[in-house]
Amino acid sequence: MGAGAQNGQGGLPDIRSIERFLYREARLLDERRWSEWLALFAEDGVYWAPLTHDQPDWIDHASLFHEDALMRQVRARRLEEKRAWSQQPPTHTARIVGNVHFDEEARWPGPGPGQGPEPRIVVRSTFHVMEWRHDTKRLLGGFYTYHLLPEGESFRIALKRVDLIDREGAHEMLEVFL
Amino acid sequence: MTTPNDLPLQDLVHHDKVHRSVYTDPHIFDLEMERIFGRAWIYVGHESQIPEPGDYHEALLGQQSVLMVRASDGRVHVLFNRCPHKGAKLATLPCGKLGKVIRCPFHGWNFAHDGRLASVPVRKGYEGTAFDESDPDFSIRRVPRTGSYRGFVFASLAEDGPDLETFLGGIRTSLDNFCDRAPDGEVEVAGGVFRVWQNSNWKIFLENLNDTSHPMVTHESAINAARDGHSDAEGGMPFRLHIIAGNGEPYVFWDELEMVAFDRGHSYMGAIFTPPKDPVSLAHIAALEAVHGPEKTREILSVQRHNSVIYPSCSPHSSFQQLRVIRPVAVDRTLVEIYTFRLKGAPPEVFQRAVVYANVVNSPSSNVMPDDIEVYARCQEGLKGDGGDWVSLHRDAGRDRFEDGRYVANGLSELPMRNQYRAWARYMSGEDA
Ligand SMILES: [Fe+2]
Repeated sequence: MGAGAQNGQGGLPDIRSIERFLYREARLLDERRWSEWLALFAEDGVYWAPLTHDQPDWIDHASLFHEDALMRQVRARRLEEKRAWSQQPPTHTARIVGNVHFDEEARWPGPGPGQGPEPRIVVRSTFHVMEWRHDTKRLLGGFYTYHLLPEGESFRIALKRVDLIDREGAHEMLEVFL
Repeated sequence: MTTPNDLPLQDLVHHDKVHRSVYTDPHIFDLEMERIFGRAWIYVGHESQIPEPGDYHEALLGQQSVLMVRASDGRVHVLFNRCPHKGAKLATLPCGKLGKVIRCPFHGWNFAHDGRLASVPVRKGYEGTAFDESDPDFSIRRVPRTGSYRGFVFASLAEDGPDLETFLGGIRTSLDNFCDRAPDGEVEVAGGVFRVWQNSNWKIFLENLNDTSHPMVTHESAINAARDGHSDAEGGMPFRLHIIAGNGEPYVFWDELEMVAFDRGHSYMGAIFTPPKDPVSLAHIAALEAVHGPEKTREILSVQRHNSVIYPSCSPHSSFQQLRVIRPVAVDRTLVEIYTFRLKGAPPEVFQRAVVYANVVNSPSSNVMPDDIEVYARCQEGLKGDGGDWVSLHRDAGRDRFEDGRYVANGLSELPMRNQYRAWARYMSGEDA
């Protein structure tokens, strides 16, 4: 049976298969393997970091990140440009992803935020990202929410939502994907 | 070597160069807070942020925390954020609700929305003492002067000086166009505020706002990334890429832009991303025409400006409804607040496009801004060293023309920077610029 198969409780996939997927995603980001990370997303997948605590959407409200495939690609491309001055030296990250669990509403019937009619599996986790660049180290933390589409042995990301605990605060630049 | 404090203030600023100490000397920073931010009209907030009586918005006026408060009679007051009793700050959120009275969280003194003392607990304890309700020392201190221009609230810590309209002078036209683009003639803050740190002196950012010879160099990485494979997308480049790639226009494009400056340090430059004739723009035009007819609508939309500088505290972008507010925190640290506005009476897509603009250009995750912030910080670092004492403002110096009460130059000219330092020198010598 495949990792994404319905062999867990309540017809949901095994949580271990979800964890494997999330840990791999974390590793791709920490190793700046952007093109492999981009490929984890469904074609119309969305990467979103709200700006406020009760922000209903990304249409009528500014966001810390709101990126479709096109904008994710632009960011990944810029980060590796020879004259990306603010990436001299580049940003280094190490992240811990924990508390991985199915959300209380573990199945999103769709269509939902991030388009697409397919049912999704909704997963929550807590993260810390230690980030270092130039002479500054900082710690970012918050919650990840994923809408995942089972695909063969693995998943595709329909939505990756990043809720920074300090999203309403004043920020230094957020250059790399969280 | 010249130590900054050896030079008298008036020798720090020449018409075509400035001494590095104006960016690095904490003593000069303190003087700026007193003589510039303590005298000029400083942007506080927009009236739409405090629609109901008791609503407040906190702002930094120079180094002073102040509260913009809506009173029951609809008036707007700007008060120092300090209880006259023991000194506690009265409110700590960027925006919030005070209720019927302003209540100090420490000993429960209550104040009216205009700052006047309303009540103290156990009043009789003050009988026979020098405590006096009618003495302003026992009320929340009001900022000496408050003014509103089409909903944009400014305040001045100085008792006297030019009134707000006189202070704004010709740059009023940027705020006018900001509002005139709304079919209802009014705008409101909406969609959240970005707050971004810059590890550099506040003037470096102000100078950059009309610096036309940096985009193609500083933003090369973002320009390349946006152009790569997307330049000839079907139906033209998507808006969100267009506003990045526009930084890569050739020098001749920038040199042909309108560059205009006014007294007191204000300036603006012509638009670099003119909205195309896409469905959003057409819907906006239709909404304006329904109110004003085609001729007036054309006139309103013919004013196309990129950043305006309202020296020394804010920068409206009228074409895409952004306002950036500059809050100097230390000689080498600056907070920038970025607000997006809704044009009242315009179709929702117009506001949604302003949100996209905010996300792409002004968000801390922008692909454009990090390289700006990086070069500002490199200037701040570099200027500390002894590699030279002067910063050059020579581009097209001596060729600024004065016409009809305004200074004009070619688009690549450093006129706006020279103009800012002309105002700086006047404020710092104790004049009202
Ligand atoms: Fe720039």
